[in-house]
Amino acid sequence: MTKQEQVKAIFIEEAGEIIEKLDVDILRFEEYSGNYDLLNEIFRGVHTLKGNANAFGFTRLGEFVHHFEDILDHYRSTKEEIEIHNLELIVNSVDVIKEVMECELDAHPELPGGYGECLERIKHLIAAKTGKTRAAVPEAAPEELRDLASEFGIGCAEAFNETITRSIELHQSIREEGLRLYRVDLTLDNDAYKRGFDPLGFIRLLNDNAKSVESFFDLENVPSLEGFACDENTLGRVVCIVLSPKTPAEIAENFEFLFDHEYAVQAIEPPVVQVPQTEEKPKEEARSSSKPGGESSTGGMSASKSTIRIDTFKLDELFDSVGELVIAQNFIAQNEKIHAIEDESITRTIETLSKITKRIQDRVMSLRMVAIRDTFDKMKRVVRDTSKKTGKELALIVQGEETEIDKTMIDSLSDPLIHIIRNAIDHGLESSAQERLAAGKKAEGTITLRAYHKSGSIVISVSDDGRGINKERVFQKAIERGIITGDENLSDSQIFGLIMQPGFSTAETISDLSGRGVGLDVVKTSIEKLRGKIEIESREGEGTTFSMVLPLTLAIIDGMLVRSAGEIYIIPTLSVVESFRPEREIVHAMKEKGEFVSLRGQHIPVIRLSDVFSLPTERIEPWEGILVCVETEAGRIAIMVDELLGRQQVVIKTLGKSLARLREISGGAILGNGDIALILNVDELRPLIEGPHAGN
Amino acid sequence: MRFDGDVLTIDLSMTMEEIREFEQFIRPRIEYVETIDVEEGSGLASSALLALLASLKRTRRELNIPFIERGRTASPVYGTLHWMCYD
Repeated sequence: MTKQEQVKAIFIEEAGEIIEKLDVDILRFEEYSGNYDLLNEIFRGVHTLKGNANAFGFTRLGEFVHHFEDILDHYRSTKEEIEIHNLELIVNSVDVIKEVMECELDAHPELPGGYGECLERIKHLIAAKTGKTRAAVPEAAPEELRDLASEFGIGCAEAFNETITRSIELHQSIREEGLRLYRVDLTLDNDAYKRGFDPLGFIRLLNDNAKSVESFFDLENVPSLEGFACDENTLGRVVCIVLSPKTPAEIAENFEFLFDHEYAVQAIEPPVVQVPQTEEKPKEEARSSSKPGGESSTGGMSASKSTIRIDTFKLDELFDSVGELVIAQNFIAQNEKIHAIEDESITRTIETLSKITKRIQDRVMSLRMVAIRDTFDKMKRVVRDTSKKTGKELALIVQGEETEIDKTMIDSLSDPLIHIIRNAIDHGLESSAQERLAAGKKAEGTITLRAYHKSGSIVISVSDDGRGINKERVFQKAIERGIITGDENLSDSQIFGLIMQPGFSTAETISDLSGRGVGLDVVKTSIEKLRGKIEIESREGEGTTFSMVLPLTLAIIDGMLVRSAGEIYIIPTLSVVESFRPEREIVHAMKEKGEFVSLRGQHIPVIRLSDVFSLPTERIEPWEGILVCVETEAGRIAIMVDELLGRQQVVIKTLGKSLARLREISGGAILGNGDIALILNVDELRPLIEGPHAGN
Repeated sequence: MRFDGDVLTIDLSMTMEEIREFEQFIRPRIEYVETIDVEEGSGLASSALLALLASLKRTRRELNIPFIERGRTASPVYGTLHWMCYD
């Protein structure tokens, strides 16, 4: 990746963050539309986005954001109350910004559908507002206008400084060996042109041999024509950020004919990443210690560097290396030859190594973990939009926003969550307030979004207090659709699970939100790709809860180690229901249908791993082995193994191309003794019969 | 400098003398101009022109000056230039 591409990648990431924040802030503003501090914050984000978009040639995004900024600017400077329909336009504009950004990233020649209309509405609004303002002060003298501008300019001066700070940060990121970064401030006197000096002339000199020069003209003091004379310098300051191999003396030499007060050259040192000495050190103290030279004219840039950006690829590499470290440490800890050495110091060293390795593993793991707050914040927008579209009044309750989850999973979680939430509002809640009141509920529906830890997993649940799932109707529909035959003896959760089968929908009307019969099956597949599962609980008349049960991380799996025909396999603990040695009486064999075990009224198919993988072994009866009962997408199965070896967290290793074709295997792991174990993909372990299991 | 209907097209690379002439030309006509465009491919040669365009915009806000509204330009001679008009 070239430096230019790196800078562009940083822009894209930052723009994504700005837009995400915009999405959340605009919703907060909709709720508290009198909060002009929040509007200022939104304005600053939009302003930065505009500057960056234009700088990187994303002109369509730049143009839209430019006009959008005008609207925000109008309201923040006039503090005029925003009319409901205009607030809606502002919220919708953020959607367009998101879509345009995607078009820009994909270099898509066509603009999103709503772009033109939204832009026109914004322009129309600006024109209308400007007209109003002008009408209010029809004879406004230039002096009055200047007053307004200067009042309004307080925020813009901040924006100017922020833009410079951002430029410095960008240049820091492309800084190479042998290059120095300078900030040059030019404040030329009014007679500068007459003396033969022009800021552009100096910028040309600075650009000589430089890698990059970015200059910022502050036009705040440029008067209207009445007070303007073109041969007088009316520019305020001009700030140049220069990345050049030249020495400070060589840079300063360019200004030797200017008065001392007309220029300032400052060499900017590379940022120093501050690492807190102890965890107990108060944050404020840590911050102040990062500014040893007092207040810096770079806007306290080094102080804000309490975090650094790390490529997730590097994190993954680090994580892999730690995985190897854990394996090596386990190998040492379990090595019999090392154990045979009766030396206390060696034993103590191994114990210390074990502790340190565990600590490193935990720390590295925590680097990948982020709070789910941002994802939940995004869902607030989904709830708001769906509520408006369906016309259902509802309250959103969010719990457990601080719950941390693997960053990789967060990225894949949004779409399933959006679908479930829309589904809950569109179909879960009663269709009208009257229906709710008639059912003895309050008119306003409630959606609860919750994240929490449970038995080493993370659960993200979406609950509604709606009408609940009609179990009978689901069962009948599944028969009509040929998903089940009707002879099955299904548990409640299995019946509810049928709604996630492809093509299943009990919705009588298809909306653009949900009810198309596609979606929940895709949600299920998405969650399963994350090695998770969906559980549905519902009580008719009371509501429904969709719970996504996810592993803590994608890189490590909590597994049950089993042995079959001399080979070790790992069964993901998340799928395991129970394990037992069956009594002879509960095992049955049916011709052409294989072996079954009867467990609490259910007939569960028995799957021999030795058969699945064609392992040569002496055939024993099920009651001589162990059955591990697991939940799969097609129902419960009982995996027959010779021995249970224990439960262990293992680092997942991907398999080579040849083994990847084996659907029954989802990965491999290296055990402490150096042995390799295969991780079973339980959903692909098929009994002799197909279709839902646990039938009569 | 070309005047076509309501659109005035100027060359950015004006000398100081030409900028003075432009200023004299536009002062009495500012109400009749809808848009000030710049010649394609021309580059800014003096900060005075940038200031003049900003002053025109400040004087008549509805005057359309895409170059000023864009807020930036880039050239091999100067690198990237940004400006903030506060209007």
